[in-house]
Amino acid sequence: MSALVQRYHGASYRVALSVVSDSDTAMDVAQDTFLKAFRALDRFRGDASFKTWLLTITANEARGALRKRQRRQETSIDDAGPISADGIDPAEAAAITDESTRARTMLERLPEKQKLSVSLRIDEGLSFREIGDVIGSSEGAARVNYFHGIRRLREMME
Amino acid sequence: MNETECGAVRELLPGFATNRLGARDAEYVEAHLPGCAECREELELVQSLFAARPQPPVDPAEQILAGVHAERRGGSRPWWGISAAAVAALAIGVGIASDPDAVPTEAPEYATELAEGDLWLSDGGLVAGAPTLEGLSDEALQALFDELTAGSAGGAV
Repeated sequence: MSALVQRYHGASYRVALSVVSDSDTAMDVAQDTFLKAFRALDRFRGDASFKTWLLTITANEARGALRKRQRRQETSIDDAGPISADGIDPAEAAAITDESTRARTMLERLPEKQKLSVSLRIDEGLSFREIGDVIGSSEGAARVNYFHGIRRLREMME
Repeated sequence: MNETECGAVRELLPGFATNRLGARDAEYVEAHLPGCAECREELELVQSLFAARPQPPVDPAEQILAGVHAERRGGSRPWWGISAAAVAALAIGVGIASDPDAVPTEAPEYATELAEGDLWLSDGGLVAGAPTLEGLSDEALQALFDELTAGSAGGAV
């Protein structure tokens, strides 16, 4: 069990972060994901890789956490202004010069499915079919999301 | 450079940038790149993204494992499920002995907290043999838990 956690917690954290754009929430989501996964191991059918299955649970958990946060924000009178990626202000992002950091900052601005497709393909090495499983789309849609995301990033980076 | 080749290469760029490609695919990409500025630019982007991929701020593995273990020990429903299974296992002689002196004479209060319909409920609403568990050490319970859950976990834990 420890080996599974060690091996996959980074991927789970990154997927969660792609959805919720907040490090603390992403950590909580990753932890909840493992608890749920271990509880439901008997339902893991082996027709997807364990990693894909885990990341699908992560994405669902993260969307739930995001919805919860959005509901809280709707009812809070203290909230002001849009939430940007991981607390990064767009003006601040424009000033970032390091190419890698800038690329990741721009990635955060993509629509969720494009962002996840790019992240899962590059960071985790998933196939388009596996990405489709995680984001709830077909293999073809995952491919389109990835290439649209890359094209948009290239435009933003110019 | 023809579009078909670019399309094939661009699919391979993430694997190429992260050294996940097989030798043949890697050679294919390497042969294409010198003559294609578009694909080189895209490779740079992919490399940049991968280089700055987020890492958890702290290693959460211990936290996650602690959560899993805490749930095993303290979770109400899952723990009860295991308690009952443990009782059944004890009844058929798994082999973990308890201290007879530690066996209470009455069923513990929590033995009546289960909802009807739970498989392990006896007809009277008490968990048969539950008091016996009281006498087991934490280590013995954990060992029993691990043994009983190994099957459902597919041996992955």
